[in-house]
Amino acid sequence: MNGQPGCRGWLHCRLGQFDLRLDWELDAGETLVLFGPSGSGKTTALRALAGLARPISGRIDIAGQPVYDSAGQIWVPAHRRRVGYLTQQYHLFPHLTLAQNISYGLGSGWRNPRTGNPGAGLEEILDAFQLRGLEERFPWELSGGQQQRVALARAMATQPQLLLLDEPFSALDAGLRRSLRHELRVALARRPIPVVLVTHDREEALSMGDKVQVIDEGRTIARGLPIEVLGQPGQTAVARLVGVENLFRMKVDSRHPRDGTMRLSGEGDATPVMLEAPLDDGALDGVAADWVTVGIRASDIILSSDEPVGSSARNRLPGTVSRIEARPPGYLVELDCGIPLHCQVTGASLEEMGIRNGQRLWAVFKASSCFLVQESAAEGAGDPQGASPN
Amino acid sequence: MLRRWRRADGAGGVLGGAAGAIYVAFIGLPIVALLVRAAQQENLWNAVTGDLALTALRLSIFTSVVSIAVVVAGGTPFAYLLARSNHWLARVIDGLVELPIVLPPVVAGVAMLMAFGRSGLLGGWLDSAGVSISFTTVAVVFAQVFVAAPFYIRSAKLGFQSVARDYEDVSQTLGVSPISTFWRITLPLAAPSIITGLGLSWARALSEFGATIMFAGNLTGETQTMPLAIMTAMESSGGLDSALALSALLLVVSVLALSALALGSRRRWSGRL
Repeated sequence: MNGQPGCRGWLHCRLGQFDLRLDWELDAGETLVLFGPSGSGKTTALRALAGLARPISGRIDIAGQPVYDSAGQIWVPAHRRRVGYLTQQYHLFPHLTLAQNISYGLGSGWRNPRTGNPGAGLEEILDAFQLRGLEERFPWELSGGQQQRVALARAMATQPQLLLLDEPFSALDAGLRRSLRHELRVALARRPIPVVLVTHDREEALSMGDKVQVIDEGRTIARGLPIEVLGQPGQTAVARLVGVENLFRMKVDSRHPRDGTMRLSGEGDATPVMLEAPLDDGALDGVAADWVTVGIRASDIILSSDEPVGSSARNRLPGTVSRIEARPPGYLVELDCGIPLHCQVTGASLEEMGIRNGQRLWAVFKASSCFLVQESAAEGAGDPQGASPN
Repeated sequence: MLRRWRRADGAGGVLGGAAGAIYVAFIGLPIVALLVRAAQQENLWNAVTGDLALTALRLSIFTSVVSIAVVVAGGTPFAYLLARSNHWLARVIDGLVELPIVLPPVVAGVAMLMAFGRSGLLGGWLDSAGVSISFTTVAVVFAQVFVAAPFYIRSAKLGFQSVARDYEDVSQTLGVSPISTFWRITLPLAAPSIITGLGLSWARALSEFGATIMFAGNLTGETQTMPLAIMTAMESSGGLDSALALSALLLVVSVLALSALALGSRRRWSGRL
């Protein structure tokens, strides 16, 4: 209505011994992903944004209006905040039909003429979310995907100015997730409001997020574009959280500035393992570190049964298969190359190559698939006061 | 229901079935006997519609309905608080609430007399203010509330606990105030348990005897409820016929009311919270 239609602010919450500090800035139409393991404080953050949990201090601006300000003694209760909230289990009201669920929030609360827009009509919403013909069904008569759609429709019907999604796909099976993610993006594009999505699923964060903040133990430890933060994370703490399968501490042998690469060696069990990785310029510039931590994603490694010749890949390591475990969609093969290298393969590859324990294989990957990871943790976001406009 | 029957098979099923049959006979036989003996009476209708019976029935229904209204009005918010609070004090009170269930009603009656009687702790003070409670219709209600409230509070508390807080949270984010949320979400979802509690509690109030006779006495038209009237009839010479008629009447009224409640507590979405 007035001011910028985004959402920004900072929070300090305490839940028993648990301490959460968070600051964020989000424009309308943008999706911020809060990424982190369970128990990292993500849900607490959402509840504080929704007005369901009270922080100790902070400030929350939605559409340019403060809904919470500890300094100014402002606290807008949940039912006046115009914040849509999708829980993991959707929590459709079981005693109400689909139509009654969707129109539940219409005609009360913020239909007040003073506060502006009335909610969209039921008919309009049924069409927009493809729920025609299901009006009289009860929540348990709907499929998981339909339930999610109803929960979203119910939240959007009240025309929220901020939408909060708490692991919206966790109750669905993998196949459905993909199509519903797309559906959700389409639905959100129709009415651009800021969205905060909480997840611990990397794929979900990558496909849904415009921005990501990695949360661990109540602190933001990394933030940026999802592809940068989650693809080749710059810190070991983040790398572990986002599930980078291979992280090795290695010694720098030689640098080749002309190629932009350097050679690393790791202490293998018998022979040293050599790797070629991008040169550590930029962040570590000037400090010629002797030791670096390097990360390689399992999905970036190709397995080959013969020695690969005539390949541009700079890293070719022979090894023995020491473990195979199912990791949908495919398998994670551990190859002992002196260091335990984890490689992701599809079920078809596993079958065609007849991969089994003890087999000799070659691991092949580009130098650019290796990324350097900083051992340090904790981003500068530790001080939320700095983000406060007071 | 059928599936549950079918699952019980083998030796356990046979044993359980036998025990069940014996139990049904044990409970059913006295009830059948009561109805049969009452029906064999020649002047059943006269006894049932007699002054003694109708006066007692009217008083029983009036006092039990007032008692239940008091229990519901006070017990519902209290049960909600108990269900939602994590405070240690709430847990202590939670334990105390159920005390009247294990307390013999006669003891409850004596205790109430000591508290609200003419020379009781609070009663003495009330008496000097010109208010007397013991041996009045108000005392009947007091006794019934005392013994019946725990059944309602316990059941309502379980009902509220079965409603996940997230439903209330979601409702609020949809723009519905906490009070409205209680009426539109929490209460309907807890209704089956609340209605069950209502039935149990009402049945307990209707059958109240021990505390009533101690605290309220046995005055026809004022404190003589159905159970008291039955005992009085039994004690008078040749009163068995009259007692039988009254008992049959109370049985029929109770069964009808409880069936209505049981029907009312059925929900399409039961077990889907």
